[in-house]
Amino acid sequence: MTQKSKLIKLLAVLFAFTLVTAACGGDDSDDSSASSSDEVTLTAEGGSLLETVQERGTLNCGVSGAAVAFSTLDPEGRMVGFDADFCRAVAAAVLGDADAVNFVSLTAAERFTAVQSGDVDVLMRNTTWTQSRDTDVGMDFGPTTYYDGQQLMGKAADGFSGSSTVGDLDGATICTNAGTTTEKNIGDAAEAAGVTINLQTYEDFDIVTDNFIAGACDIITTDGSGLVGRKAQQQPEGEEWVIFPGAPISKEPLGPTYGQNDSGWADVVNWTVYATIIADEKGINSGNASGVVGNDAYDAEAQRLMGGEGELQTLMGLSADAFQNVITQVGNYDEIYSRNLNPVGLNRAGSSNAGWTDGGLIYAPPAR
Amino acid sequence: MSETTIVETGKRPEVASSSPGEWIRKNLFSNIPNTILTIVFGVFALYAIRGLLGFILSGERRWEAVATNMRLLMAQGYPANQFVRVWVALGCLMVLTGLSLAIWNAKGQLPIKKISNWTMNIGFGLMLFAVLAPISPSSRLGWVIAGVLFLTFGFGLWMSTKNNQNRTLDSIPTVWFSFGFLGTLVLSLWIVPFGHYAFTNGELVAETGRTVAMSTKLPFTVMWVLLVCSYCVIIRVRDYLPTGQAKALLVGLWFLSPFVLNWIVLRDPDFDYGHVISTDVPVAALFIFAGGGILYLLTKPSLGELGRLTAIALLIFGVFNWVAAFFGWYPMLQKVRISFVLLALAALIAPNFAADRRTRLKFVTGWGVLIVISHWLITAVNSPSTLELQGPTYLGGFSLTLFVAVLTLLLSFPLGVLLALGRTSSMPIARVLCTGYIESIRGVPLITILFFFSNILPLFLPQGMEIAELAAIVTGYTLFSAAYLAENVRGGLQSVMRGQYEAADAIGLTTSQRTGFIVLPQALRVSIPPLVGQAIGVFKETSLVAIIGAYDILRIANNVVPAQTEFLGVKREGLLLVSVIYFIVAFSMSKYSQRLEERVGLGER
Repeated sequence: MTQKSKLIKLLAVLFAFTLVTAACGGDDSDDSSASSSDEVTLTAEGGSLLETVQERGTLNCGVSGAAVAFSTLDPEGRMVGFDADFCRAVAAAVLGDADAVNFVSLTAAERFTAVQSGDVDVLMRNTTWTQSRDTDVGMDFGPTTYYDGQQLMGKAADGFSGSSTVGDLDGATICTNAGTTTEKNIGDAAEAAGVTINLQTYEDFDIVTDNFIAGACDIITTDGSGLVGRKAQQQPEGEEWVIFPGAPISKEPLGPTYGQNDSGWADVVNWTVYATIIADEKGINSGNASGVVGNDAYDAEAQRLMGGEGELQTLMGLSADAFQNVITQVGNYDEIYSRNLNPVGLNRAGSSNAGWTDGGLIYAPPAR
Repeated sequence: MSETTIVETGKRPEVASSSPGEWIRKNLFSNIPNTILTIVFGVFALYAIRGLLGFILSGERRWEAVATNMRLLMAQGYPANQFVRVWVALGCLMVLTGLSLAIWNAKGQLPIKKISNWTMNIGFGLMLFAVLAPISPSSRLGWVIAGVLFLTFGFGLWMSTKNNQNRTLDSIPTVWFSFGFLGTLVLSLWIVPFGHYAFTNGELVAETGRTVAMSTKLPFTVMWVLLVCSYCVIIRVRDYLPTGQAKALLVGLWFLSPFVLNWIVLRDPDFDYGHVISTDVPVAALFIFAGGGILYLLTKPSLGELGRLTAIALLIFGVFNWVAAFFGWYPMLQKVRISFVLLALAALIAPNFAADRRTRLKFVTGWGVLIVISHWLITAVNSPSTLELQGPTYLGGFSLTLFVAVLTLLLSFPLGVLLALGRTSSMPIARVLCTGYIESIRGVPLITILFFFSNILPLFLPQGMEIAELAAIVTGYTLFSAAYLAENVRGGLQSVMRGQYEAADAIGLTTSQRTGFIVLPQALRVSIPPLVGQAIGVFKETSLVAIIGAYDILRIANNVVPAQTEFLGVKREGLLLVSVIYFIVAFSMSKYSQRLEERVGLGER
């Protein structure tokens, strides 16, 4: 009896040890065919990231995971939003399957390290394109998918209107979240306009909004997309919140970001975005994209883009119907935009994000 | 005289019961300062409760955000059509619980008086709620009626025990009371209209005024039936079972269950059977028979120093394989490397089994079982999962919290005991190594260790070797918590008196026998309170995994739900739910430790 219980104890200890070691090491030579999907894979040395991603079979896409309407988890645990859909678009182009995405949620601090260490292949994490990030940090930026800018929100009852300017803010209490560039931008703008403001910062924007509702803040400020979402969801009945000035006080072009000096990969990501924009211009959407090739109603450029005669996708290392997959499985730019951003009150018409023919900035080079 | 005292231990002297009125006068209004304090704190407490109820029931609260996201909070992105796996896992645990209750705890009795107290407390709680909560008069009346019912029932029970002269019915079995209680909860799912939330074709359908969805109430009912049935079956045959062996088997099953349930049931590994038959089975067989043969020889009583030398040679070889793997000198199957280390460790403890033939054969059989289980688990871990999930970890929400906490505690406990023994041992190398390890880990914040294991460790691993995110979290957290557990156990070790060691030596016990049978049982008994404190800490600090990108329940409530388009900024509801869940688990652990302390007689001897 004593021997037996001793044996059990010792086996338990030994067994614990096995499990630790087993957990530490995936088999290197044992099951090379069977690398489980929840393991971190490092980028292969040399060669384009494109081949690595195609070999791996999934795209590691860095997102915020907590950015309203851009990337959030829905109640079923799916990553949804504008940025998440562009991740799916890239996966559809590279792998032919919009669901072959491994979403990695990143904080603002770790996002660039994650790209450099190869943890993620592309970053769709409302990252503003700036000179220092492009040069000093070692990132490359793709085409802007969303033109954002910092704006302010006040209550109509306090005398603010859509045509108010920073000059009207004299003596106002302005709230924003701490440690971001928004804090610096509003300070600079107030100084330039020659007004004195009382700036207060809070840990996160939920608290900022609560203080605004309670009246502790006269004005709150962050990127326009954030303000519109708050207004659409949290404006109490009988109150009128207004967003101003019409021209934002900062420029925040948001788009895909990836490691520098990988032209092959950059081309794939960039042209995936362009393909959604061109498809929007040509009236190709998820419903009709599969019927474009060989249909005379569409011009030669649309035919080429969808994989018809003279297509250029195979030259990029993709399959001929890569962009057709993108449009069929994810949709064109307008579909992606309306699906995710219309519910929070962000409309394309009249904004910088309208197509270039409608007075906006969304523009793609020709596909030829 | 001394015999009677022994018989009496474990039973508390009975406290003379007093009526509620007497109790209130004696404890709350005994003199003027006491009365003033009672009134002041009573008013404070009432205001606090009223505030909390007002917060919970306020029309501004959007509890549907929590209800809609319940699945996200509990299991993150675990797909709905795979939920049956979770239920199967839970069902296994229920059966195990039922079996264990039948084997261990069949004789526990619950005094009726206690039940009547609980019922009356619930009644008081409901009355208090009815008076304080800002609800409509009609529903207030409903709550009052419910409270009065509970109060009457409880008072009736209390009176019945008082008038019961022959005292035949002053207690009922605890197990049956618990089953009845859980059964009532399950039954309430079928009767009370909590609201019907269900996903149909990806759309959430929410209807108030109906009972919860079938996908919720049916599995819970099955769980209850499994629990009760497994208990009933075993309790019938209990007297014919070899209790000692049944207990050993159950302990083994409980220890294995987290690993098996997680890696086999939840992941459902896609075994490559061709590879299993061509490589895995022969390798395992080789280790079972060749390793078993070596171990059988090593347990030969007349072997002496030679056995020790062989064991050390095996250990050096086992460690060398890992060094070779690090530099990539020669390829070797991962499980072979692990098995060699296991063999060396088994060889080191082999002299303890140097006895008759039967003991030696048992030791070798144990080795065979260890190899089968460990090889099976290693293969399972390294096979791809048939579960298709997005995101770096396949668990999230409260499941992740539980998983990390349970696995960490299970693994860090033996490691912590070993470290404590090493630190207090007389061998200088072991002592220096263990002290160095404990102090260096204790000098580093948990966040740093988690970052290190998730981001930096992959860069140090041998070429081609990868570490799963979840394994990295658990490994790092285990190493961290083991250092703290070791210090708690060391405190217990120091409380064991010198005389105990000397007595053990005097009757000729070996060092390992002295440690296992004399020192550790006393040391662990003393360290129960700090160990449970540490366990609660481990459970609560799992929320730090959010920092390396895993979605635990706190992160989902704090960051994910408030970012959803339809529930923008809805944060307080989720946070309240999370704190209630954390409280329930931590409080249960604390309650359990109190019972454990009572059982081992801590603070009485």
